[in-house]
Amino acid sequence: MKHRILSVAAALGLASTIMLQPAYADIGVGYVYVGAKTDGGYNQAQDAGRLEMQKAIPGAKTNALENIPENAQVSQAMQRMISTGDKVIFATSYGYLPYALDLAKQNPKVVFMHCGGAKLAPNLGTYFADMFEAMYLSGIAAGKAATNGKIGFVAAHPIPQILQDINAIELGAQSVNPKATVTVVYTGSWNDPSKDVAAVNTLADQGVQVIGVHVDSPIAVIGAAQKRGIKVIGYHFDDMKFDPQGWLTGGYWDWGPIMTQVVKEVEAGTWKSQPVFGNLKSGAAKLAPFGPSVDAATRTQIMDKKKAIEDGKLNVWSGPIYSQDGKLLVPAGSTLPRPQVDSMDFFVKGVIGSLK
Amino acid sequence: MTFDLLIGLLSVALLTATPVLMAMLGETLTQRAGIINLGVEGQMLVGAAAGFAATHSSGNPWLGLLVGAAAGLMLSTVHALLCLQLGVNQIASGLALMFLGNGLSSYYGTPLVGQQIDGFTNMAQGSLAQLPLIGHFLAQLTPTVYLGFVLVVLCGIFLYRTQWGLIWRAAGESADALHMLGRHPGLIRLVAILIGGAFSGLAGAALSVDYTRTWVEQMTAGRGLLAVGLVIVARWNPWLVLPVALIFGLSEALSLRLQSTGADISPYLLGTLPYVVPLIVLLLSYRASQRGTAMPQELAGVFRGMA
Amino acid sequence: MTLSNLQGISSRLTVPVIGAAVFLVLAAGFFYANGYAPLDIFGQILQGAFGNAFSINTTLTKTIPILFCALATALPARMGLVSVGAEGQLYFGALIGTAIVLHWTAAPLWQLLPAALLLTLLGGACWGAIPGMLRAGLGVNETIVTILMNYIGIQLVEYAVYGPWKDAGNLGWPATIAFPDSAKFPVINIGSLSSNWALPLAILIALALHILVEKSRWGTGLSLLRSNPRVAKLAGLSYPQQVIAIMAIAGSLAGLAGYVQTANVQSHLQPDISSGYGYVGFLVAWLAGQNFLRIIPVALIMGGLLSAGDALQLMAQIPFSSTLILQALLFISVLSVSAWQQKRRNAA
Repeated sequence: MKHRILSVAAALGLASTIMLQPAYADIGVGYVYVGAKTDGGYNQAQDAGRLEMQKAIPGAKTNALENIPENAQVSQAMQRMISTGDKVIFATSYGYLPYALDLAKQNPKVVFMHCGGAKLAPNLGTYFADMFEAMYLSGIAAGKAATNGKIGFVAAHPIPQILQDINAIELGAQSVNPKATVTVVYTGSWNDPSKDVAAVNTLADQGVQVIGVHVDSPIAVIGAAQKRGIKVIGYHFDDMKFDPQGWLTGGYWDWGPIMTQVVKEVEAGTWKSQPVFGNLKSGAAKLAPFGPSVDAATRTQIMDKKKAIEDGKLNVWSGPIYSQDGKLLVPAGSTLPRPQVDSMDFFVKGVIGSLK
Repeated sequence: MTFDLLIGLLSVALLTATPVLMAMLGETLTQRAGIINLGVEGQMLVGAAAGFAATHSSGNPWLGLLVGAAAGLMLSTVHALLCLQLGVNQIASGLALMFLGNGLSSYYGTPLVGQQIDGFTNMAQGSLAQLPLIGHFLAQLTPTVYLGFVLVVLCGIFLYRTQWGLIWRAAGESADALHMLGRHPGLIRLVAILIGGAFSGLAGAALSVDYTRTWVEQMTAGRGLLAVGLVIVARWNPWLVLPVALIFGLSEALSLRLQSTGADISPYLLGTLPYVVPLIVLLLSYRASQRGTAMPQELAGVFRGMA
Repeated sequence: MTLSNLQGISSRLTVPVIGAAVFLVLAAGFFYANGYAPLDIFGQILQGAFGNAFSINTTLTKTIPILFCALATALPARMGLVSVGAEGQLYFGALIGTAIVLHWTAAPLWQLLPAALLLTLLGGACWGAIPGMLRAGLGVNETIVTILMNYIGIQLVEYAVYGPWKDAGNLGWPATIAFPDSAKFPVINIGSLSSNWALPLAILIALALHILVEKSRWGTGLSLLRSNPRVAKLAGLSYPQQVIAIMAIAGSLAGLAGYVQTANVQSHLQPDISSGYGYVGFLVAWLAGQNFLRIIPVALIMGGLLSAGDALQLMAQIPFSSTLILQALLFISVLSVSAWQQKRRNAA
């Protein structure tokens, strides 16, 4: 008898607790970063998204694990976050994909969001944004700023996203200076400030006057460029404060809205696995603020082009586009098909560098 | 045109090589006294973190170098304690130091990530830059490069031209002989370890305060461990430290330069150059000189007395 | 139990027990000084290393490459060679083993796995033999050669996965195609514990090496070569031959670590197949006093420490770098106590 009363009371208590929960209860959201969240680059951009989402959804409890390399360790890291009750995991680095896919299979009740991936699963979605539009616009600024037409680029590795950035800068620069060239040097590492500085110096010795960059944290490159007196195009994050005189413009991510949307949908139970793509228009890949050295005429020109891209009137990959060795890849009047953009494996004419 | 090319390569090489050079000098002095310290990497890292932190809060890069050297020295006391006082095997102790320095610098360096400092005033505006022909080259160099040159000279003179240098070398060749002279090899070895620590810390600070002006975990990327090995390539001779470090720096500068000319070679294969070239130099030097006569005898003893 | 038995056992236990005690004190001091409750942290480390099936499996996974690399360090050390090359041998062995997997992907398990392992052993052996040959032929110090070759080995793997072996279907991510199950060590499942056959293989090799080196004539020869090369020569032992052989065997063991990481843990060849296991293996070999039996439990402890690292970061908000500090403190503690005991013995 007593046993019965107790169990009924327990059931009633439990039921009332459930019913009295606010609609958006504490939802655990986990983040895994490949580097430090204060790096002034890729990871800080992801973390900025987390902070924005946190503000927009006060009931969300976020966890962040930093410096998790792109190997099996990330499996263990994500597994541990799931075991503490996280319901959404943001795997913010490209190399986390196979591990995220595996864990998604083992944890069907958890939603995974992978940054930059091309593979989906019932409970794994992807999010990314095209930065090459902002790079095209930055290329215009670079083409104007480089009086001798020489632009340089410090790249980590030859992967499609980076090739897109380089090609876009070249195309943008060419549109205002047909003689513009982009020289590429790879550091072979996402995060090696020493190599970054050596690369900048090497490029500066070749006479480049503007530097673009795509490594995880652009701070070392910006500093080295400042020392050599050359201008810089930023990436991932708005780092103008590190070199106000040399800063032209650049691209930076704004992941907050996407992340907030995802978490809201998960809470409401309406989330579906799909690739979420952002670009200049949607605001996920923004053009960075102009530095003081960009004159008014150039600014107007860039903003006009920006509007044209956003209105769909200008496509960065519209022909004619020639490859590095002079072959016509995209004839005038047509555009590069999307799959070839995603798997880009060529350099356009005017880019000096190896594809290996 | 080729003159500019060579000058450019040289300046990039010198900038890259300077931290390695300073670490090598310290370790040369240490090994000359008969001690090997594999912990140079850890000492460089704590020096880099501490130096960066000091410069960030004070705005004075020279202070940063000093604090970095002090940090490296403090860490090296662990090696001294383990090896000299307790008799722990030097290889093992050094490697433990590598882990410790790595861990400590990463741990306490977390708030430093994403910061930038001004470093030394740009020498491109200085008077040296106005010199004809080499002015452009000199403008690229930074104060730590010059400091490195000075240190090479000081170490070379010390080791080969002073009474103390003689005693120092004797400590590395035979502790017994030193006893007979009434000197204390233990004391010399202690000083050797501490000086090595200071140099490594200075090297790390040069890397963070001067060269990159940022801080990132594990930013030395193995250069400290490499420096210990390169000491052997330089035959334990401070005068040879400069050319050997320069060879390393030139290999890296060359691999980057080849890339920037559009050469269709994989950057990763080019990336093996900074390690293959010293290896070849090492082999050549071993063939040229007689086997093992240059290694301080007490040091050879460390390698023989394993396990 | 006679008194001398007890004394024998207690003297052998002194180092591990007192060493562990010193470590706990130092570690507690570090945590306390940084505002953490040491006992809480220790509890979480234990939890993260051995607290549940997931933790134990993670620990076992990390123990395998550490064990192989420790063996790859200890064997040359028995001959007086200081090899820091396990990291590079790990990468190069994995590289060569991957080659056959990529070319023979459809082969069945009983063909593919042995072939891959054989090539891995060969690859690692080559990478180890080179410093051995340089030492034997020219007298070049093997420490510096192995250090340099570590970096070269890593670069070669990067070249392969960013270049000719990159899986085009992965949109630029630097990795080969996924390894088929027929290329992986078969899994062992006992209850909720899960590992693979590389673990018993590593343990068996450790035992075999122990017996060979401690008990056989060859092992005695090694000792002699280290302590008294002249007498060894008179006894007919060839220093150059033994150096090359030992370094080659060591290299092949480290190569196996690379293969396990690539095939079973990562399922692809990619740039980061090792989290510094070569250097951790070096630490373990030293902690165990180059004793092949003792290496096994010490490797397990290190595996546990590394496994707990993630747990610490998540639960206690302590950065992963704290595990490096703990490893170093452990190493320093045990080294100090061991050396101190040695001194006492010598003085007695």
